[in-house]
Amino acid sequence: MNSIVRKDFPNLERVIDGKRLCYLDNAATSQRPKKVIDAVVKYYTQMNANVHRGVYSLSQEATDAFEAVRGKVARFIGAKTEREIIITKGTTESINLIASSYGDLAIQAGDVIAVTRMEHHSNFVPWQQLAKRKKARFEIIELTNDLRLDPKDVDRVLALKPKILAISLLSNVTGVINPIHSLAARFKMLGTTIVVDAAQGIAHGEVVLDRLGPIDFMAFSSHKLCGPTGVGILWGREELLNKMSPYQFGGNMISHVGDHETEWNELPHKFEAGTPDIAGVIGFGAAIDYIETMGRMRIEAYEQSITEAVIQALKEVPGVRLLGPSDAHHRAPIFSLAIEGVHAHDLATFLDMQGISVRAGHHCTHPLMMKLGLPATCRASFSFYNTLDEVNLLIKALKEAPIFFKRGSR
Amino acid sequence: MTNYREVYGEILADHHECPRNWGKLTDATEEEKGYNPLCGDQVTLFLKMTGNKLEKCTFEGEGCSICMASASIMTERVQGHTSEEVAKMVEGFREKMQGAEVVAGMPSETDEDDIVALYGVKRFPVRIKCALLPWTTLKKGLEHHEHP
Repeated sequence: MNSIVRKDFPNLERVIDGKRLCYLDNAATSQRPKKVIDAVVKYYTQMNANVHRGVYSLSQEATDAFEAVRGKVARFIGAKTEREIIITKGTTESINLIASSYGDLAIQAGDVIAVTRMEHHSNFVPWQQLAKRKKARFEIIELTNDLRLDPKDVDRVLALKPKILAISLLSNVTGVINPIHSLAARFKMLGTTIVVDAAQGIAHGEVVLDRLGPIDFMAFSSHKLCGPTGVGILWGREELLNKMSPYQFGGNMISHVGDHETEWNELPHKFEAGTPDIAGVIGFGAAIDYIETMGRMRIEAYEQSITEAVIQALKEVPGVRLLGPSDAHHRAPIFSLAIEGVHAHDLATFLDMQGISVRAGHHCTHPLMMKLGLPATCRASFSFYNTLDEVNLLIKALKEAPIFFKRGSR
Repeated sequence: MTNYREVYGEILADHHECPRNWGKLTDATEEEKGYNPLCGDQVTLFLKMTGNKLEKCTFEGEGCSICMASASIMTERVQGHTSEEVAKMVEGFREKMQGAEVVAGMPSETDEDDIVALYGVKRFPVRIKCALLPWTTLKKGLEHHEHP
């Protein structure tokens, strides 16, 4: 699918130092197709006005285009109503909103809040800090040696009857896909509220609420799904969102403001204070259209073939360590690598010299990296527009890296 | 194929492979840890101050070749200088790395000095912070010495 698809992404034509860009940092952010860029430009050139405010037709057009995206997102993930779709700045803000507003409502001193060892800081720190604020217990579900959730530790935490379980659908370090449906079913029996961080998950495969089981909240960003940066979604069950207090105060989120009291607007506006990133939201609508034209099942199948190709090829690279499972089962094409004797930064600079863009660092997962005793790794993450040629380019470079960094080779 | 020596230069490669002043200092008066949270580079400096003079400076750490080579080159350079002189060197090095062409007291690109090899890191803008980490850590260490 990719040779045709690549033409849709202007930035994939970039040449860096005479080499065609091989963009393998999709877990950080995806590239945008021209249709998304066009939608953003079209808003600014033909529709620009604030939303939910004006009585003039331009403002109505902008409002309609903006609100149409809410409906699109609701259908995309299979939400019951558009009132359950809160538009935020990104996954981070979505999770902070839940931790702050729902956390205040639901957590008492002594309650248990659970996360997993594989969480991104944005689905770790808000809960850790909530626990501190409320004098609650903060529990971390540990991982097995191949960095999947440890079933024994899941049982341990389950027995603590946590009030909240915050868990990623897919790890941004290892690409491991968590069995959300079965976990949610088990925790729900104990009354746990389940928060799913789908920042990575949303870009890989068909993320539909029905298939995730009885979860309560889900957060994701536009920019990992070919949409603009600065836009995110919080989905929550309507009855919970209704009980929660606003997260921020300002324009749009009120229905009446008196000198000493204020009444809140209804859902979803209660959680949307201030002027949103209108162009970004409209661009996100175009991204969803684009992804649906591609077909999420098709994307998933193609990415699976990339995952299998990388895992197979890595077996022939001496001295390379792949974090996480060594099979392609329940795994997205995200690969964190370490080469014996070569620091992740040096490796990333070397790969950059071949035109390959990868991430080097701790991937915003200090608690996991500390546990692994690794200061940093190199992460190559693929999308549906990456090709098997790019897999081969990466593998060839990885084979050459130890020779390049060989010590004392004057 | 090329080797990292050709890209980073012989001097950096040499300091990376054979770091000078590596290891703990048993009679250190100051120990300062530096950490780059964005990339995971970490360095610990051991300083022996006699009055106002930095008599000895050694280091340990875990980081990329540029960070470690920079620490090695720095320790050689700063030993035996007063804390004011060292503070000037740190500032001068930072200015050079941020693109200043001429900085008083700092060797120029054409001089024969190991520190000139570090200037070359400017070619990799994202790696400048790797080279700076030991220096900013040293600055912190001196400040802690003055205001314990």
